[in-house]
Amino acid sequence: MGAMESKYSTEDINKIMATWWKTIEKKTQKPTMTIPNMHFTVPTLWGRKKSDPPAPEWPTVFSTIWRSPYTPNSFVPHFNDCVGRAAARTQEYLQFVDPEDKFIPSPTSLNEIFLMTYISQSSRLQMTNSFNCTPMTSQQRILLGADWVWAVLDRPTKNPCIQIAVQILHLPERCGERASGVSPEVCTESMQMAKMESGNRNEAERMVDFCMSIGTDCYALFLLFGRKGDPGNIYGVLSNNFGAAVGKTKINRALIENFFRGSRYLHTPTGMLQAIITKRAGDPLTLLIKFT
Amino acid sequence: MQMAATQKESSDQNFDYMFKLLIIGNSSVGKTSFLFRYADDSFTSAFVSTVGIDFKVKTVYKNDKRIKLQIWDTAGQERYRTITTAYYRGAMGFILMYDITNEESFSCVQDWSTQIKTYSWDNAQVILAGNKCDMEEERVVSVDNGRMLAEQLGFDFFETSAKDNINVKQTFERLVDLICDKMSDSLETDPAVTTGTPNARLTDNPPPLQQPNCGC
Ligand SMILES: Nc1nc2c(ncn2[C@@H]2O[C@H](COP(=O)(O)OP(=O)(O)OP(=O)(O)O)[C@@H](O)[C@H]2O)c(=O)[nH]1
Ligand SMILES: [Mg+2]
Repeated sequence: MGAMESKYSTEDINKIMATWWKTIEKKTQKPTMTIPNMHFTVPTLWGRKKSDPPAPEWPTVFSTIWRSPYTPNSFVPHFNDCVGRAAARTQEYLQFVDPEDKFIPSPTSLNEIFLMTYISQSSRLQMTNSFNCTPMTSQQRILLGADWVWAVLDRPTKNPCIQIAVQILHLPERCGERASGVSPEVCTESMQMAKMESGNRNEAERMVDFCMSIGTDCYALFLLFGRKGDPGNIYGVLSNNFGAAVGKTKINRALIENFFRGSRYLHTPTGMLQAIITKRAGDPLTLLIKFT
Repeated sequence: MQMAATQKESSDQNFDYMFKLLIIGNSSVGKTSFLFRYADDSFTSAFVSTVGIDFKVKTVYKNDKRIKLQIWDTAGQERYRTITTAYYRGAMGFILMYDITNEESFSCVQDWSTQIKTYSWDNAQVILAGNKCDMEEERVVSVDNGRMLAEQLGFDFFETSAKDNINVKQTFERLVDLICDKMSDSLETDPAVTTGTPNARLTDNPPPLQQPNCGC
């Protein structure tokens, strides 16, 4: 880019900019994200006024499926197919063990295998007019905490009416922390800037904040590539109500793993999507899912 | 995914100043395309609506000074309004964009301008950009109407095309110039700067320009 003309001398501009920048910095700070309607009287993650989570028999979702104005949703079986393939392929690599115990595939590779498999299959099935997947850029992964965002699209406008922001969590022994594609060599200045913007919230909290800024039709899905004691399977915790935990407890891997304590009902990917689609607007919903 | 583009970017830490700029306007007017054209000189006709917010960095030179532009690409869809307006704070310049082939995007310009007034600071500079000027046959907003509205709102005006690379660089350069001009204007009203008095004075008795907007 060529030099630009200006009526000011270098020295003037120097001074001008330095001072101006200071004045800007002094503008009253507002929170980087405002979270609307966060008035939970009973802070249970399950959105019910009981401390124990719903038992499998609890007539949540399936009783309402048949009244859904959405049916038939051709993308539901397609989604199941795409996600099933992605999970199965990822699992192959997840279960890989180097006989010499030296080579460990990076979490980033595993994320990419899942996403590539999903995307190839969904474009093959031509489902992206009703249900699409937007991979985040590296900056967005840091700012919003999500690896990608799934969306159910409104028929005429193609605007998203329901979204699922997805963040992959790996076992600590595999990586130390979540793979955001940020190895020191790759950590460009944009990404450093993105980190600065995100303050001191961890990636899980950033994604929860992002979802809450949109509303209850945006879900956070933490995808666990392996759980403690079960490293070879893929599970998920999905909720539009993690806001209930904000400020009460740290949202992190430990909290997510805790959802699986005891025997809980595990949804299939199809069950998950149907539960989301048929839920009454504004209601809280929290589900556990098994993808493999 | 834009991994390649990001990694290509130099990890150069040296710059003299950093300007935070935002691109706003209705969904599909071409904000992301405009930024890609400027930062990477690329264009794609596929439409991937932006989720939430994203940004790119580009360094420009002005009088031998390196100015790092941190350019925020906001999502135009209504559902992201809470998150996008949170990023207005501290922005020194805005590119407010509409699509010359889309009447609705033009009628929303007034609302976007109100958003700037509400969430940003008073001295932020704004350029109105009527994008997709390569699509002359489908034009529904005349150049004159665009220019008139810009005048009414007190903004500079360009018709642009991210596709054919028309007025893209010019829009950014003009915005940088406007910001520099505004900075010097506001400093002329503040003798502390020109006389070289230490900046501490500013903390005790801020000049009018840094009063926060009461509306927000
Ligand atoms: N002909 C033409 N098409 C353009 C131009 N700029 C953008 N487009 C197309 O318009 C569509 C929308 O462009 P985007 O840049 O994604 O729009 P956006 O404003 O970022 O939209 P949101 O992210 O939803 O807010 C894409 O299909 C682009 O290829 C242009 O200057 N001329
Ligand atoms: Mg965009």
